[in-house]
Amino acid sequence: MRHYENLVIVKPTLTAEEIQASITAIEEIITSNGGEIATTNPMGMRKLAYPINKSERGYYHVIYYTVVPSAISEIERRFRINEELLRFVTIKYDTNREIAAWNYLVTKAKKSAEAPVKTETPVVDDKAPEAEVPATEAPAVEVPAVEAEAVATEEAEAK
Amino acid sequence: MSEKRKYKKRFCKYCEAKVDFMDYKDVAALRFSLSERYKIMPRRLTGNCKRHQDMITIVIKRARAAALVPYTVTRKTVVSAPFENLR
Ligand SMILES: [Zn+2]
Repeated sequence: MRHYENLVIVKPTLTAEEIQASITAIEEIITSNGGEIATTNPMGMRKLAYPINKSERGYYHVIYYTVVPSAISEIERRFRINEELLRFVTIKYDTNREIAAWNYLVTKAKKSAEAPVKTETPVVDDKAPEAEVPATEAPAVEVPAVEAEAVATEEAEAK
Repeated sequence: MSEKRKYKKRFCKYCEAKVDFMDYKDVAALRFSLSERYKIMPRRLTGNCKRHQDMITIVIKRARAAALVPYTVTRKTVVSAPFENLR
């Protein structure tokens, strides 16, 4: 088993659900070839440094995984067939120093994945009192506002 | 600039920071070794040591392949600001 990292850029023309679907399909390609995904890091929608296939933007997603080296050619072949992918970059982490860096990147990606979860939990807390007191209208009005804020921050991150 | 450099002791910024590994996704860290037109700066100007220059060239080329850093900046592309998502 060797340590790898794959960066994939998904077409920006797809909807959010389609992007998620294609990313799960990409992760399934890796797992079906015997890969073990350590963690993933969605970098979100970014502007490309140069247009690829006439697209100016792209959805970046990074996958850290370990797999037998012989499976990589098959994984890359499947990536090439996939028309939803603008670009993929496969990085091999071979030496001890690189593997240490890989572990560091994985823990970093896991931490950044945990951070949004913490921000989501207060939203859940907001919804709980609303369920307890459904008669009052005030919290029901407040909740969409919170959601709108969340959407706004997501859009800001996407930019 | 060159006059100043002549008398300055050259040192490798990456050795000083004890950089063992560079991540190609961290574009802000790559800017030091990139020129205004996103060419890789030569070692004689940045003062990088051979080891770190080799590391940075590999990392910059990976970042170029991933469309995080442009290959070239021409008069055409410079207008569209290739780094607007790099705050
Ligand atoms: Zn050095």
